[in-house]
Amino acid sequence: MAQQTATGEDLALSPQAPLINEDWLAVGTGLVIFLLALALLAGVDLLGWATAPRTWVEIGKSVRQASPAYGEYGPLALLLATYVFVLALLSIGAALLGVHLGRFVLGFSVIYWLSYLAWVLGNYAYVAVTTPADMQRLAIGWSLRLTGESGYLIALLFGLAIANLAPSLARWLSAAARPELYIKTAIVLLGGFLAVKAAEQLSLASTVMVRGLAAIIEAYLIYWAVVYFVARKWFGFSREWAAPLASGISICGVSAAIATAGAIRARPLVPIMVSSLVVFFAMVELLILPFLARSFLADQPLVAAAWMGLAVKTDGAAVASGAVTEALLLGDAAARGVKWSPGWMVGTTTTIKVFIDIFIGVWAFILAYLWTRHIEPRRAGDELRLREIWERFPKFVLGFLATFLLVLGIGLASSPAVLKTVDGAMAQANVFRQLFFLLTFLSIGLMSDVRQLWQEGIGRLAAVYVVSLFGFVIWVGLLISWLFFYGIKPPLAG
Amino acid sequence: MTEPKAPPRIGEELAKMQAEPLLPIEKKLLAWSLIVGLLLLAILIWTGNSALTPPQ
Repeated sequence: MAQQTATGEDLALSPQAPLINEDWLAVGTGLVIFLLALALLAGVDLLGWATAPRTWVEIGKSVRQASPAYGEYGPLALLLATYVFVLALLSIGAALLGVHLGRFVLGFSVIYWLSYLAWVLGNYAYVAVTTPADMQRLAIGWSLRLTGESGYLIALLFGLAIANLAPSLARWLSAAARPELYIKTAIVLLGGFLAVKAAEQLSLASTVMVRGLAAIIEAYLIYWAVVYFVARKWFGFSREWAAPLASGISICGVSAAIATAGAIRARPLVPIMVSSLVVFFAMVELLILPFLARSFLADQPLVAAAWMGLAVKTDGAAVASGAVTEALLLGDAAARGVKWSPGWMVGTTTTIKVFIDIFIGVWAFILAYLWTRHIEPRRAGDELRLREIWERFPKFVLGFLATFLLVLGIGLASSPAVLKTVDGAMAQANVFRQLFFLLTFLSIGLMSDVRQLWQEGIGRLAAVYVVSLFGFVIWVGLLISWLFFYGIKPPLAG
Repeated sequence: MTEPKAPPRIGEELAKMQAEPLLPIEKKLLAWSLIVGLLLLAILIWTGNSALTPPQ
């Protein structure tokens, strides 16, 4: 759901009112890339120049283009082309959002190149290689076995370092630090990527989706009730604070806190403050939970993936945690000689997150009904409207569904040769999906200024969060993931 | 010229918060949420075990 909050600085930097919200912008940006990639079906290679890192020992061989057709161009020219394309696309978006364009272009350029640097560093052979065969091929004696996705964590650390050591630089970059926009664009692109997997293994994909329904019940009916009770009864919070806090901890972080605050007519400062806390703890979870999953759930990859979707708040941090978990578990499995097909773990995390997101509007409507009828009856003329469900619906989900269903339809209706071409097209789009993941990680880090939160006097609010998250949400999420995903494994690669 | 108003701090806002006892409607919401939630989870687990055996 769109990050509907704006800091005073953002407003000062906005030369005009936004013409679009972040959700629709993510749909548009994702679909442009998706359709350009899909042109491969018509024999036109429009995105083959997109350049991504590969596992490297010599820095001169650290990147390569998506398609050999563009091999005649040097890596530097293609790196620059990739940057200019993403910059142009997002600058149009920034203009539509009403963000100061010059400030966005400068800030985004810094965020982009730092993210890309993290991506390249994460693919350094001594960090990324997972199998003895690859170590032999690259003539290296050891590796951390973190896979190339370790670039995500490096990007997060870059962002955290800037936010906490150079807060004035972080503020300067804030116009372009938009984790919700980046992750939603990535999720739209992920739809097509996951559909290729689903077309190849329809039975497994259906199982994941049906079992993902449990997440909706858990988030809205179990988590929310318990966290609301803890906040109200144990910590003495008023309804105005307890409801957005319960939604922030239970459902999907920032967007849920904002939707709930709107539904119960809380003051605007309440969701803003809850959101700061949600982003901070999501970052903490992102740093801890994938490594816990690696230790305890190495042979239950989809339990681990579902757990990330249920326990980690905010779309960005949840899907990012799924990606890190997948990287860690795939790497460990490969070292044991088991090569699982990539994409299934991050796909499971995303499915769960998207399922939960879909019902934010309905939940906000139910709360609005209870508040207006029974708790704080509204004034005449301030009536509850069914349209509010649609207004609060996370629109980026439509982009995800569009790419997923289109590719699934093509995949199921066509020959294996065509499916292979679609796979190639989605691999090109996947370069950008990974780029948007990296931008998300760096932006999450940039927004996590620990010192500022502490100075705000966040202790009591944080106490509810810590008690609910670490005492209940994480472990119930693990139990439910275990009950519904135990024994289900990704197919073997190749 | 007036000084710009400083943004509110979380600590100050929380200190101003009034005590509000749980209303019967809130208790009903929590109880029904938990009952319906646990029931639906049990149904999903049952159908998952009987009809949706994971593919091997």
